[in-house]
Amino acid sequence: MSRRSARPRFTLLLLALTAVTLLTLDERSGGVGVVGAMRDGARDAFAPVQDAAGAVFRPVGDFVQGAVHYGDVEEENARLRQQLAERDAVLLEAENAARERQALLDQQDLEFAGDIPAVAARVVVGPASSFDVTVQIDRGRNAGVAPGMPVVAGAGLVGRVVDVSRSRATILLITDPKSSVGVRLAGSGDVGVAAGRGSRSTLRLDYVDPASKVDRGEAAVTSGLQQSAFPPGVPVGTVVAARSGPGALQQDVTVEPAVDLRRLTFVKVLQWSPAP
Amino acid sequence: MEPGAVTRFGPRLAFVIFVGLTLHLSLFATARIGEVRPDVLLLIAVAGGIVGGAERGAVIGFVSGMAVDLFVHTPLGLSALAFSLVAFAVGTVQSSVIRAAWWIPPATAWVASAAGILLYALLGALIGRPEFLEPRVLGVAAGVATANALLAPPLVRIMAWALPRDPDRSYA
Repeated sequence: MSRRSARPRFTLLLLALTAVTLLTLDERSGGVGVVGAMRDGARDAFAPVQDAAGAVFRPVGDFVQGAVHYGDVEEENARLRQQLAERDAVLLEAENAARERQALLDQQDLEFAGDIPAVAARVVVGPASSFDVTVQIDRGRNAGVAPGMPVVAGAGLVGRVVDVSRSRATILLITDPKSSVGVRLAGSGDVGVAAGRGSRSTLRLDYVDPASKVDRGEAAVTSGLQQSAFPPGVPVGTVVAARSGPGALQQDVTVEPAVDLRRLTFVKVLQWSPAP
Repeated sequence: MEPGAVTRFGPRLAFVIFVGLTLHLSLFATARIGEVRPDVLLLIAVAGGIVGGAERGAVIGFVSGMAVDLFVHTPLGLSALAFSLVAFAVGTVQSSVIRAAWWIPPATAWVASAAGILLYALLGALIGRPEFLEPRVLGVAAGVATANALLAPPLVRIMAWALPRDPDRSYA
């Protein structure tokens, strides 16, 4: 083999080894340390460019998606969607209220999302890859955002903060396969874990008793059980399918998120952390 | 590479990747129809392989992959690894092309982009993200490949401006 033909392979080998080293570092550090600092630095440095580019291209993106929301019309539409979603949240909360009253002793220390201090933010970047189920918001550490904080929109739960830099934060959406949310079904009172599927459409509800009667359209709210990552009573979604096979250890329940995660514009970061 | 080529073409290449990243994180992050959206950084890697050959393509793929890796929550280095492997393969295969036809860049971009997405999903599954290999990955690969194929002709021209020509290359 000549030196000329061997050099590209040697270069590729070096690059592959570098990439594998970074992958290992990222996995072992859990996204903090050097790797986290690299990402934070890049996001902060690129933030002004993103803001400018977002302002220029947002109308084009909206047009391509079939919704002609230019300038003020877009802002007005976003506000109207938010108001509508908030009314949906009221309905979901009302459905949950009866159950909450019955479980008063368990939930005396419940905090409603509205009473929790919150940081309003705008979604500036959608998923940057077809495999990424995160969004970026235009608020970060400087605004009081911290990793682990729950994020909500008008109709309910959006996800939680996973990365924070000075001016940006990354939100892991509840539909990410790494996301799991403890929920309580409003009708039956059953608790389960809503896990993401990665496609940004529905959630899989695990650990629901196969003997329980779960109705289509039933609301699911965050359970807020001890050490839960989310405050109690935040609407998560509604049941769109439920079935239990013979001998099954749990029901096969599908939940549609209360929030349309494909059209996020404004969100609120709840400055809340689980009780120790 | 001729002396001075790095100082002459390095800034051009950095500019192309910078603009590509900006478009990827703004225009193409919102202008998507279902799963169909271009992956501009992957296309830059492929175009680097077409224009620059295997070695330079691999380096460009690594840099463009790292650029996008810094802005996603998926494992850091995964895109860099997948993009550099794809660009290297494209550069290797393209070296056998004697004369370029107009359809070769888009066809190459389609195949390489689909392969890049599938390789990314496969590597992701190998390092603990099995959900990457769900059936929807086929739709994602087809969508990204089609969008990238449409953008390939202008991007290959831009890459030809940004890169010193490899004397062994057949076109661009």
